[in-house]
Amino acid sequence: MDSSIAEQQRILASDWGGGRSPFGTSWSKFMMWIFIVSDALTFAAFLIAYGFMRSISPEWPKQTEVFNMVLITFMTFDLISSSAVMAMAVAAARASNPKRAVQFLALTIVGGLIFLGCQAFEWTHFIEEGATLTHNPWGVPQFAASFFVITGFHGFHVFSGVTILAIVAIRAAMGKYSADGVENAGLYWHFVDVVWVFVFAFYYLL
Amino acid sequence: MAEHHDEHSISYKTYIKTWVWLLVLTAIALGVGYAPINEKLKALLLVGTTLMKILVIAAVFMHLRYERINLILITFAPLILAIVMFAFTFPETLGTATHVLRVR
Repeated sequence: MDSSIAEQQRILASDWGGGRSPFGTSWSKFMMWIFIVSDALTFAAFLIAYGFMRSISPEWPKQTEVFNMVLITFMTFDLISSSAVMAMAVAAARASNPKRAVQFLALTIVGGLIFLGCQAFEWTHFIEEGATLTHNPWGVPQFAASFFVITGFHGFHVFSGVTILAIVAIRAAMGKYSADGVENAGLYWHFVDVVWVFVFAFYYLL
Repeated sequence: MAEHHDEHSISYKTYIKTWVWLLVLTAIALGVGYAPINEKLKALLLVGTTLMKILVIAAVFMHLRYERINLILITFAPLILAIVMFAFTFPETLGTATHVLRVR
């Protein structure tokens, strides 16, 4: 009897006894992480499917000849830089400096918009050369299909990220500001950067 | 523990250093991409630089190194599932490739 009461008290005192956060985060940050993990699974499926299509294809166009690699490298640089600035925005928000946080957020948004502009340019060029979801001039249909699906899905994430960051920045400028909110938006933005790191390495460089 | 987590703040200098490292890793990946080496070695080196980059981004930018171990472990789920999916599909691609070769 004594030991079961002691056991009950031990559980109540532990992280799982209620009223505490077993993961040591706010609920919103934890939900953002769960979302990121599930979204990462989607991209993992896309990239594995791409790898599968590429392996069964007897040939594959040389990406460095099809795409403007200077532009792609610049886009990578742009996204990594905006990610670094976003991390600084979170630090400013944590240090209770909303003005600085808004400035960094604005810079991050500019980085995102530049990326989207480059992607629109790249897509336009690619489509003008005759690429569609099912056909393209380089002979392997899966080449353009995986390009449109993977970069399109990623580009939509960048667009959503810019929208979220704009909302967070406007709210911070209005004084409705929480460091947790900035951090959660930041986590999403870094995730978008992580996905691009994979796309850059496996779609463009491999 | 919880108090410690809320108080952590990384300096701007650390972020700038991390940014420089990420650019260096990107340059290495770019070099590997253009290097006239065996495709398998290239794939291996690109996987290596990519994993290093995402570890740096996750640990520093996403503050994962300040989180509890159970949250860190959750983030490995997609990587493990990707390996499982790869392990399931890759043998099949080998079969198909030989099939394609045989037909030709």
